[in-house]
Amino acid sequence: MEKKEPKVVVNHLTKKFGDLLVLDDLNFEVSEGEFLCIVGPTGCGKTTFLNSLTRLYEPTAGEILVNGIPVDPKKQNISYIFQEYSSFPWLTVEQNVRFGLDIKRVPKAEADASVEEMLDIVGLTKFRNYYPSQLSISMLQRVAIARAFATKPELLLMDEPYGQLDIDLRFKLEDELLKLWQRTGTTVLFITHNIEEAVYLSQNIMVLTNKPTSVKTVIPNPLPLPRDVMSQEFVDLRNQVTDLIKWW
Amino acid sequence: MLATGITKGRRVAYGIFGIFVFMCIWYLATKYTSLGSVMPDPVTVFSGFFAAFVTPIGTKTMALHILISLRRMLIPYAIGALSGVLIGVLMGWYRFADAIFMPYIQMLRPIPPIAWIPLSIIWFGFDEGSKYFLIFLACFFTIALTTYNGVHSVDETLIRAAKMLGAKDYQLFTTIVLPTTVPYIFSGLQVALGSAWATIVAAEMIRSSEGVGWLIVRGQDVGNMTQIMIGIVAIAITGLLITTIMRGVEAKLCAWAERGK
Repeated sequence: MEKKEPKVVVNHLTKKFGDLLVLDDLNFEVSEGEFLCIVGPTGCGKTTFLNSLTRLYEPTAGEILVNGIPVDPKKQNISYIFQEYSSFPWLTVEQNVRFGLDIKRVPKAEADASVEEMLDIVGLTKFRNYYPSQLSISMLQRVAIARAFATKPELLLMDEPYGQLDIDLRFKLEDELLKLWQRTGTTVLFITHNIEEAVYLSQNIMVLTNKPTSVKTVIPNPLPLPRDVMSQEFVDLRNQVTDLIKWW
Repeated sequence: MLATGITKGRRVAYGIFGIFVFMCIWYLATKYTSLGSVMPDPVTVFSGFFAAFVTPIGTKTMALHILISLRRMLIPYAIGALSGVLIGVLMGWYRFADAIFMPYIQMLRPIPPIAWIPLSIIWFGFDEGSKYFLIFLACFFTIALTTYNGVHSVDETLIRAAKMLGAKDYQLFTTIVLPTTVPYIFSGLQVALGSAWATIVAAEMIRSSEGVGWLIVRGQDVGNMTQIMIGIVAIAITGLLITTIMRGVEAKLCAWAERGK
């Protein structure tokens, strides 16, 4: 397969909190349009890793380039979906989805079209005037996903967005996410502690070590979409990743 | 929260029933105990209250007494609300403003407005200025502190989410901090409205010839217990009305916080 241009290049990324070394000299590349899942042992610093990638935390050393220039969410079109529910409670579903477009001053006609498309894809058109306090947990995560995709991000970072959902909802939202990813071609970095989820979604799986965190390996995921979690190939790949992060 | 499981109609019915029981106890106590020798019964008080809308007490009818007191309360209340929100936001957003203003607020807040009467007369004279000052004090600190708490209650996840969607500092303030603070501001405005209205009696103790507080002060001067009770009823009913109106405004503007509960 032809190697695509790197979208994200991380060189010697290091993060310390005082004397505590959390991220230790991370080096990797993510291709344009790639869906990369990042897994690692519990408490290995996955969220710190993502927060450093986006400069929510200032890295202690190293550089992160997106399209060849240092990452800056104020200048580049990056979206982030958090583990916690992050819908703005004073805005309706529609206003939430529109938030990033308004912040970036996207022309109204273009913003309207984008909002309509996203509401339709995540199935929230009927609930556009609802407030987050009136929505179920899965709907709240759909709002966050629609809001993230509405700005047509170059890079989408997801930090265990489905960690608190039960299995049925998780599969449903994972399928929705794959649909959106295929439709938009966005580059996605998806952190999860759920290995099955990583194998279900990813093109590549990055395995992190225990703290201080470094990249243990990147495993390509050649399974065709849509994936069957019961297939032997799926189970084999899941077991391979599990063996790599075993701490027991 | 208290309203959970109770329809609005039933809530009103319970309220009316509670008032009816209170009136019965008041009536029976004044009719059949020694309380009747010092206090008028509710029929006398309420008939006097409604009669005062036609027959003046002093130089004004009841409607004018209420309107004059409302004006006396609303002007300093508006000033207190605006300055309280401004100082609260400044203290919440800028550490230096917190360091400058907070010690004064914490020192001055526990002093009851009535304790300021002598100083307010010296500073602002016997006219409206001294009354405005007392009422301003009754609401400013509450509004400043609740606004301050609102700014501090902003959810870090929402700030991060907005930052990741490209929000600059001023956009974080206008799109995240201010909307988060609105319910807190309203809570402060609601409490302060009650305090400001309650302070009207103290304010009208400073030489005045009209207003609901004056009804009480004047009633005390001439030993007219019925007039005192009419003044109390006027304050209570008007207080109930203005706080109900404020709750309605809050429900409209903070619909997002109310729905789904």
